[in-house]
Amino acid sequence: MADAALWIMVVVLAVVILVLALLLKRILAAAASIPPKVDAIAGVAAAASRDLDAVAVLLTTQGYIKSIRASVLDYGGSLDVALPDY
Amino acid sequence: MEIQVAIIILLSTVIIAELAVFLIATIVQLFKINSGLSVVLPLVGQIVAKTSPVNPVLDDINANLVVTRDALENLMLKKGGPDAAGLVESLFPGEGAKFLRRVNRSGKVVNVGTVYTRGVGILASLGRGAPIGAAHAKGAAVRDAQYSTTEVAKVYPAPPDRRNPNLNIPKAPVIGRDPVHSPYEPTLTEGTRLRDAQGRMTGSPPPAPTGKIEVAPPAEPAPAAPTQADPPSSPRRLSAKGTRPWER
Repeated sequence: MADAALWIMVVVLAVVILVLALLLKRILAAAASIPPKVDAIAGVAAAASRDLDAVAVLLTTQGYIKSIRASVLDYGGSLDVALPDY
Repeated sequence: MEIQVAIIILLSTVIIAELAVFLIATIVQLFKINSGLSVVLPLVGQIVAKTSPVNPVLDDINANLVVTRDALENLMLKKGGPDAAGLVESLFPGEGAKFLRRVNRSGKVVNVGTVYTRGVGILASLGRGAPIGAAHAKGAAVRDAQYSTTEVAKVYPAPPDRRNPNLNIPKAPVIGRDPVHSPYEPTLTEGTRLRDAQGRMTGSPPPAPTGKIEVAPPAEPAPAAPTQADPPSSPRRLSAKGTRPWER
């Protein structure tokens, strides 16, 4: 009876080894797949950060838009005077 | 020791070794992830810092553009009347209906660009007396859409540097010197509109020009110009101070 119990325990341990190996291998594969993606994200973030250096030009564009608005409104005012209403 | 116990001990050792190997490898990968994220996070912070002023700037730009657009659209409505949507449609196909919705108007959008060329439309709206200027506000187009630019090209030929001598295109007309050969017809209304937006007559037209020069007699003699002081007899330093009428 004791021998049978010991043999059952041996079988259970063998199965546990296989299942444990399978699960740990999957965890390791998942963990190993993350660092390349993090490196890729770091490269993209660095490039995006460099590209965003041009955001400062938006301030220049903002000034241009303001002056263009003033010019267009002046032009429209002149047209309002020059052309008869419908 | 029995053989089963020995196998159990061996299997337990294998399990522990298996756990140790895989967990150590996983820990190594987690360290790599940690170091990678320590590189990524400052870059993300830079992106956030650099994009933070974008929204207010873009909002300001959009507000300026909307104000400009509204002003121009109101001007087009004021000057173009029901043709305004057609003008927008001719410049930006598909935008005429949106323009009407923005200004809370309804109606059919007629692309005036398919009927008038830009120059002809401008001449007509300016009331220069061009043939198309007659009855352009109401009714169908008076010009053939296919050949609408031919007459304009005759009146306004290409500049000399682009002129082909083989085509024998006449020179630009001289206006005012020889009215008989002038391409312009005398206008009857001098730019005033005889009809309102609904086509109703708004008043009697002013008299047509006769071509004669009429000189009206002066109603009363013009006031005499203020007399100026006599020039000094001997040359000296001249000064206007004290000689002006309001300084006496």
